[in-house]
Amino acid sequence: MVTELISGAIYSSITLLTPLLLVGLAELLVERSGILNLNVEGSMLIGAFTAFMVAYYTQDLGIATLSAALAGVIMCMLFSILTVSLSLDQMVTGLAMNILTIGITSYLYRASFGWYVSPIPPHIKETIKPIGIPVLSEIPFIGDILFKHMPHTYVAVILAFMAWWVLFKTDWGLRIRAIGEDPQVADYLGINVNSTRYILLFIEGVVVGIAGSLLSIAYYNMFLDNMTQGRGYIAIALVILARWNPLLLLAGSFLFSLIDAIQLRIMALGLTAFPSQLSLMLPYLVTIIILLVAGRKAKGPAALAKPFKKTR
Amino acid sequence: MAIGVAFLLGAVILYVAGADPIVAYYWLFHGAFSEVSFSETLVRATPLLFISLGLAVTFTARVWNIGAEGQFYIGATFAAILGLYLKDAPHPFGLIILLLASVAGGVAWAFLPAILRAYYGINEIITTLMFNYIAIYTVSYLLHNPFREPASMFPETTTLPEQLWMPIVIPGTRLHAGILLAFISIPFLYFVLRKTAFGMKIEILGSSRRTAEYAGIDAARLIIQSMLISGMFAGLAGGIEVLGIQHKMRLEISPSISPYGYTAIAVTLLGYLNPILVAATSIFLGGVINGSMTMHRMANVPVGMAGIFQALIIIFIMVGYYLEDKFANKLLERLNLW
Repeated sequence: MVTELISGAIYSSITLLTPLLLVGLAELLVERSGILNLNVEGSMLIGAFTAFMVAYYTQDLGIATLSAALAGVIMCMLFSILTVSLSLDQMVTGLAMNILTIGITSYLYRASFGWYVSPIPPHIKETIKPIGIPVLSEIPFIGDILFKHMPHTYVAVILAFMAWWVLFKTDWGLRIRAIGEDPQVADYLGINVNSTRYILLFIEGVVVGIAGSLLSIAYYNMFLDNMTQGRGYIAIALVILARWNPLLLLAGSFLFSLIDAIQLRIMALGLTAFPSQLSLMLPYLVTIIILLVAGRKAKGPAALAKPFKKTR
Repeated sequence: MAIGVAFLLGAVILYVAGADPIVAYYWLFHGAFSEVSFSETLVRATPLLFISLGLAVTFTARVWNIGAEGQFYIGATFAAILGLYLKDAPHPFGLIILLLASVAGGVAWAFLPAILRAYYGINEIITTLMFNYIAIYTVSYLLHNPFREPASMFPETTTLPEQLWMPIVIPGTRLHAGILLAFISIPFLYFVLRKTAFGMKIEILGSSRRTAEYAGIDAARLIIQSMLISGMFAGLAGGIEVLGIQHKMRLEISPSISPYGYTAIAVTLLGYLNPILVAATSIFLGGVINGSMTMHRMANVPVGMAGIFQALIIIFIMVGYYLEDKFANKLLERLNLW
């Protein structure tokens, strides 16, 4: 019984960590290059929306995932045109684009399904299912917890190690970090600041769009207005917690999701003495506590969120 | 120019969605700036104006308080709930106490993120954002359980008695004394930011914390002060919205498509942190919000369109600023000479 509870909590926390880890990793790399993209929230939302719409009309989850990635890329490219090429303020652009996304998604949703959202919203029949890795998933206990997840989860964990390797062990990673510390100097050294940032934001678009799609075609089988509910922002908080280190991010997002999973279990027990609002606000409270414990004096890339204009 | 492009793009979206853009725009402008509706535009602009004036102070210090939404909610709730206990308070006193309560609510909600930023260096963007969600869930709990009006279908508090309401300035409209308070605050904040030692210190802190510390400025204290000032204004905005418009606390007090607390961030930055420009911007955006509601009712355009419009306008104004960089710089220089 107890082992079942523990393994259940760990299993669902690994499931829950997937979008956070994916978004966090992409944002981590982008922030390392000195760009603060608050629009991950909006890109996730548009990913969730696009994936749902495509899945609803084509019944094909693969195409849905691809179009979510495309939608994420469009958002991130728009963001990079505004902030990288035009050097607009990254925070305002990000926040304005988030408002834009909430508007566009809820508008288009109503434009396709009617002005009134019925109590039973349109839903899709199939969602993304976990797949067991052959052999490994046969291992008792560990196999059940670690090797029976959605493909996205395995990819996310592998990406965490890859991101760490790229960032700290390759020339390209060194260049990214140099840009994030001082784009002016990096520019003098002959690194193309803007194109590096564009490439990173492109990757972020793909990853964040797919992470968003999990909400509407894996965890739920429907789309809800503003269904990301600040998950993009939480991912940014986790990046700070991890001090811009991909492996710490892996650990941090696991810890966060574990608390989230336990919270969901408590809510499922239906204790009336425990108000549901308290449960719902727990992830945000935990984020604050995490920042309190681990985020003290966290120093990010020196040039983070500062507009850069190339001087000739 | 920038606004023109935004409207052109908006017209395309409207057309694609099957609405007639010309009819829709007629109602947008009619609903925003015609004689009958301008008072309603000012009503919309009032919370935006208060919140953005406060944000102008923190943003000048380069402290990014994104938590105005939560501070607004808590301020509004403080006023609405305390009002239930002050039902018999005589006219101006009860109102003043409630406004002070809303200020206290906003300040209280800004306090912890301020301390965390000032003394522990914890990123205020994230903490204030998280505090927004915590605030809204707390308010939701209070409205669903202990303070719910039993006769209402919605989670909201009991309507306050009329002697606690903000007096109406122009009879026949919803325009209340809050807008007068806002107009008084504009020159006051302008003075504080541009002409006092406090404003000067904040500006130095904003340009570089290190310089500020060399100059003997207690940076941590100043960060807290500036955060509390913006909390104060956001809380007051909440209180004024409750006492002037809603007369009770509801969960949808801030429009969900364009929440006041977030829209105000854009207003503040678009207004170059200058109280006068901030005021003009908030009235303009108040008009857009109000006009798109009319457009929604009269031209059968869904509400999401309001959000799209605002965002497009904000983005294109920013692009416009970039294109007119030289012009903007000149404008800024001139404003600094004042």
